[in-house]
Amino acid sequence: MSYLRIQKLFKTFGQVTAVNHIDLNVAEGEFFTLLGSSGCGKTTTLRMVGGLEKPDGGEIHLGDQCLVAPAKNLFIKPEKRNMGMVFQSYALWPHMTVFENVAYPLKLRGIKGAQAARKVSEVLGQVGLAGLEERPAPALSGGQQQRVALARALVFSPKVLFLDEPLSNLDAQLREEMRRELKSLQQRVRITVIFVTHDQIEALSLSDRIAIMKFGVLEQVGTPEDVYFRPATPFVRDFLGKTFLLPGKVSALSDDKIQVAVQGVGAASLAVPRANVIGATNGFPAVGQGAMVAIRPEQVDLSGRSRDGEMNVVEAKLQATQFLGDRYEYTVTLGSETRVLVSPASQGLKAGDRVWLELKPEGMTLWPAEK
Amino acid sequence: MAKTETVTLDAAPRSWLPPLDGGTALMALLIGFMGFYVLYPLILIIINSFNTATIAEPPVYDLKAWREAFSEPGIWRSLWTSVKIGVMLQLLAMPVGIFTSWLLARTNILFPNALEFGFWISFFMPSLATTFGWMLMLDPSTGLINAWLRQVPFLSGLNFDIYSFAGIVFVHLVGNGLSTKVMLMTPAFRRMDASLEEASRMSGASALTTLLRITVPAMTPVIVVVFLLSVIRIFSSFEIELLLGVPWGFYVYSTKIVDLARQEPPLVSHAAALGSIILVFLAIFIPVQRKLISRRHFTTVTGQFKPKIIDLGVWRYPATAFLMAVVFVIDVVPLLSVLGGSFMTRFGFFNLPRTWTLEYWKMALNDPRILQGLHNTLIVAVSAGLIGAFVFSLIGYILVRTKLPGRGILDAICWLPSAIPGVLSGLGLLWMFLGTPFFRPFYGTIVLLVVAQVLGGITLATQILKANFVQLGKELEESSRMSGAGFWRTYLRIVFPLMAQTMVMVGVIKFMFAAQHNSAIILLATSETRTLSLLALDQIAAGYREVASITVILITVLTLGLAIVARSFGLKVGIRGD
Repeated sequence: MSYLRIQKLFKTFGQVTAVNHIDLNVAEGEFFTLLGSSGCGKTTTLRMVGGLEKPDGGEIHLGDQCLVAPAKNLFIKPEKRNMGMVFQSYALWPHMTVFENVAYPLKLRGIKGAQAARKVSEVLGQVGLAGLEERPAPALSGGQQQRVALARALVFSPKVLFLDEPLSNLDAQLREEMRRELKSLQQRVRITVIFVTHDQIEALSLSDRIAIMKFGVLEQVGTPEDVYFRPATPFVRDFLGKTFLLPGKVSALSDDKIQVAVQGVGAASLAVPRANVIGATNGFPAVGQGAMVAIRPEQVDLSGRSRDGEMNVVEAKLQATQFLGDRYEYTVTLGSETRVLVSPASQGLKAGDRVWLELKPEGMTLWPAEK
Repeated sequence: MAKTETVTLDAAPRSWLPPLDGGTALMALLIGFMGFYVLYPLILIIINSFNTATIAEPPVYDLKAWREAFSEPGIWRSLWTSVKIGVMLQLLAMPVGIFTSWLLARTNILFPNALEFGFWISFFMPSLATTFGWMLMLDPSTGLINAWLRQVPFLSGLNFDIYSFAGIVFVHLVGNGLSTKVMLMTPAFRRMDASLEEASRMSGASALTTLLRITVPAMTPVIVVVFLLSVIRIFSSFEIELLLGVPWGFYVYSTKIVDLARQEPPLVSHAAALGSIILVFLAIFIPVQRKLISRRHFTTVTGQFKPKIIDLGVWRYPATAFLMAVVFVIDVVPLLSVLGGSFMTRFGFFNLPRTWTLEYWKMALNDPRILQGLHNTLIVAVSAGLIGAFVFSLIGYILVRTKLPGRGILDAICWLPSAIPGVLSGLGLLWMFLGTPFFRPFYGTIVLLVVAQVLGGITLATQILKANFVQLGKELEESSRMSGAGFWRTYLRIVFPLMAQTMVMVGVIKFMFAAQHNSAIILLATSETRTLSLLALDQIAAGYREVASITVILITVLTLGLAIVARSFGLKVGIRGD
């Protein structure tokens, strides 16, 4: 049985349904991410698990304890849940020093004096802030405040750690550094983490599993590779990274492949592995049906030599090329879409040239045509 | 050719910056004028505390007044009483005010907006109305509540005497004591970052622990500012003590000064000696206060507005009931009792053959004294409003927008009047008008009252204007300057129209101050120049309670009514958290 179980969780704010009957299971020690654009309900979900928001329906269980169940009139207050949280604004108490901030949860649990001091300095060491105990909290830099907030959330060994967009207030370089540290810290202390972010790089790089949310509904839950390479819905596909979308018609079926004739990119024919068909229901795919082939730019090889008529090769137009030292970036237009491809070698190409793109079969996914 | 170019170069900076000499001259003029206006009367008080001759005679300087004044125990006692009332009031008002602001801003009590409006009403209600309303309720012999208590078995021994130390503190509390704090602190509580509290809850603290350990300490800067603003007003309170203390020979500092100056023969130099002590105290305290207020330890109140509120659970009903009871006591009781007083044949006597009557209203509306009082009030308050809005907006603009030397001095001068008791500025102005030949012809005219009342509320007015000028985009003015308009044209054509709404509000505030407050003008008015609120004081003292009710209602309608109109124009009160 999973550690944290969310069942039929439901929450409205006035007319708006923020979280619409979601079910989630998180294992102990897992780094679990809620990913979505702002207003998708991810923070509300997190706050309901933490007890800062009361759901209108559904249940949340942690281990063998029920945390909230409106139907049974059961609600455990946030202070009784033993969960740690790092807020987006860090929420360090400005009238306290670093030590006092971190020691506060210990004090409330009756841990005082030398024992508290030892615990505080231990956790400050873990987040790389040893020796800053006596600084007033507002006198720290953004990155340091972030670490204090993390230390404060970890010091009482909570059952679950919540991270609400903790990296969004840091500059790009610091964010990357904190991301690595966060991952290694989580692996060291083996704590269950629920992480909320709108940044796909953070989600992909940190998580054991990711839940992608949209309008209060879960679109897909899976490992980073799952959701990236095998998106379950068009939203997930378009939200994570860039894709080329090539509309066409199913022209032939075989046991392991589906042949698709795509329009407007040369007389090309694509063979998509049957395993990569998304939404294979209602008789899809069948010969003559409209379909879409999706592929990530990194699954495309670019070549300046004519390869007309070859299988899985389409023709495109080069819009611009840029030399970035370690690589070249090619901006190409394929059908109606313009994307950037990266290639390590120069091919002596210039803007306006015709180019040929080979689509790797394992990178292609086949979707029913969109209305 | 070369010559023309030189001329152009000379002219260019003149059209961009205000001409240096012009700006400096304007600054010198303002500092001189405001300095004379604010400081000269105070200097006169100190000088004349050593002058034992009467005002009309040539001065004789010695220490007689100081010796006599301080050999009389009543003077020391009045000072000490002022301090005692102030301390007692703050001890009660601060915790209740903090708790109330927190309930209004941070919790899910019912009807938060209506309840906050209740405190807003109390904030703008003339203290005369609250005081008189509660006098009608708690007079030891005729007060309505006391009369009822006598009829209740077991409680018949209870009698609340409003003419007492406790009564004075109570009326201060329900007058403005509580509502001022709530008005100033609620917006700051509302702007506090909610995640500070949430982080505490997640750390394992209950809602109450969070309030005491996180919310209140994090709000300390705002609380300290409110406390300092209140403490310095201790010596300014006047009407309540005049109505509730003087009848039984209980004097505070301000009523003592008026008493000394008005007795026969007047002991003006004694009053001046007493006033000088307070000036010395203020001279030490004001710089400390300003320093503490301007020093910003930490910013708790972030710009981001997070309307996350605390669920009180079942406590939300008792909390709402508590606030409703407070609003009932500070607004409803005094207003109803003053209204009742004006329509009852004899206030509190419900068993008379004719309980209700319009007689007093008919009498009042034909009473030449009331009509003259209304006339005087309008002249004084409208002048104060108009002059105040124009002069202080110019000062506010110069303080915020220019780099002229001497801004610090001007700012400090504008800060002073909030700390100087009205009685003292009245006393100083009395000397200025009687002792300076140039001003003497104005003595006994209404001009004196206007001069005295323009100063009232200047600190609040300048602060509101400064805050608004800061928000006004500087580019709007700069583009006017780039288009070729000079300082004055930019001020009159761009700044003035853009700030019109704020100026209306400042004018309204000045009007309300002038129509409500008596302490600055009580020594300056004659029976011809008496305003409505001075008339009300005289009527109450003479025991004409029913007619006094009507005068108090007129003042309330003039001030509170105007405040409600101004509210629809966006009148806001509060401390900016940053």
